[in-house]
Amino acid sequence: MPERLAAFLAAREQGVTDVEVTSYRVMTGGYSRLLARADVTWQRHGEPEQRTFVLRGDPPPDRSLIHTDRSYEWDVLHAVAGRARIAAPIHFDATGEHLGTKAIVLEHSTAMSLLPYCAGRDDVGDLPSRLAEAAASFHTIPIDDLPDSIERPPSYDGYLTSRIDEWRGTDRAHVESEPFLRYVAAWLDAHRPPPVPLTLIHGDFQSANMLVDDDGHLVLLDWELAQIGDPREDLGYFKAVAQAAPPDLTDAEEFCAHYRELTGFDEAQVNPAIVSYFLILGVIGTVRRLLEGGAAFARGENHLLASLFNLNSVQFGHMMWMQAMTQLEAALASADQSGMA
Amino acid sequence: MLSKPTTDHVIHGVVRSLEEIVLPTITDEPARVAVQMVQQILRSAAVRAAHEIAWMHEEIESIRTAAAAFAEEPAVAEALGALDELDPTLLELADVQARYDRAGEVLSRTVEAAYAANDGAAIGRTRQLLEQRSAHEMAIVGQLDLVGRG
Repeated sequence: MPERLAAFLAAREQGVTDVEVTSYRVMTGGYSRLLARADVTWQRHGEPEQRTFVLRGDPPPDRSLIHTDRSYEWDVLHAVAGRARIAAPIHFDATGEHLGTKAIVLEHSTAMSLLPYCAGRDDVGDLPSRLAEAAASFHTIPIDDLPDSIERPPSYDGYLTSRIDEWRGTDRAHVESEPFLRYVAAWLDAHRPPPVPLTLIHGDFQSANMLVDDDGHLVLLDWELAQIGDPREDLGYFKAVAQAAPPDLTDAEEFCAHYRELTGFDEAQVNPAIVSYFLILGVIGTVRRLLEGGAAFARGENHLLASLFNLNSVQFGHMMWMQAMTQLEAALASADQSGMA
Repeated sequence: MLSKPTTDHVIHGVVRSLEEIVLPTITDEPARVAVQMVQQILRSAAVRAAHEIAWMHEEIESIRTAAAAFAEEPAVAEALGALDELDPTLLELADVQARYDRAGEVLSRTVEAAYAANDGAAIGRTRQLLEQRSAHEMAIVGQLDLVGRG
């Protein structure tokens, strides 16, 4: 691979010679794509330069946990570049003929992963506000500025209905009955939130996909699951994953308030109870993909360790959804009582 | 068949060997993550091996009781009929799992009937069944550690 990468970069970078990949290491940190870090040196117009890249490519089909499209991800990265902080997309092997698999070459970020950053501190400081800013940075991109490859849902109500139906559909498609999914669908339908405009959503907005930059702002990674949806799905998804991998930055009082300031949403549209609603709704895409992996394993169609491993996350989710429904019902009952008073 | 150590005990022994003998020798990070995933999967499998047949039997009976209130609803009646086609005396894991699967469908349809009727008490009963199921699942999951992430 180092030789292929060197040849690829020599062809793509303007005015460089003597390209050498001095270090090439496979990275952990993602379950879905092949990741590698490459340290590279070259001469540009006679001057030595040193760069570090991250390669993000498709695994072989029989080792692919979820199926997403690198061309789509490349489009999304360009749509959010300059608005959200991301690892800059530099080059793309759109066919895999150069790098052996369809792969995006990203600028390596020296920022620190959010989880270890938090683990080393007693206080998360202003990270809740930084999280609100990170979310708002792409939730406020006008839909007309997004590439045509991102599907536009016809209406908010239709979109929400389709998301709720996805719970039922996931049960129907699974290898065994999954009554939690049908219960959640019935519950979500009975407790619909006030609508907001649909926007670009990240789709995997969790601490593992975030880095903390030198100035404390968040860099967002892994845009392969981005789509147009309800922006509160990202907030709920962050909260959901934070239950297993704390801290939950959405819990801080300033989070919702700052997010509302930046997006223009009102308090009925974004508040802690609404975020809890989306803690449930927002995870269905991931739940569906995890169950598809488990089902494929059960049918003998794959042999991926991660497919088995991730089933525990789904079961953890069952417990979390039940707790969130209980808390939200209590919040709604309390609000009703206040209204009556 | 030698039944001792029991299956769950055997699996826990394997997990311990991975921890004490294999993991300390692995420096390759992706391989370490893979072994840690294997350990979690095996711990879960040990709990299932010890309890899953009993737990599935218990849940099937509880679901049948909860569904009785909606047994006249065609969708629930159909699912109950499908459950009753299977022999409850068979103890092979595959047979018990097949009944559990059909009981799960009975529960789902009971939930939907309860919500359609806006019957708070019935909704609460189905919720209790799911909480019981979740308690078993959390015993299987143990301490969820998302190894290799972040």
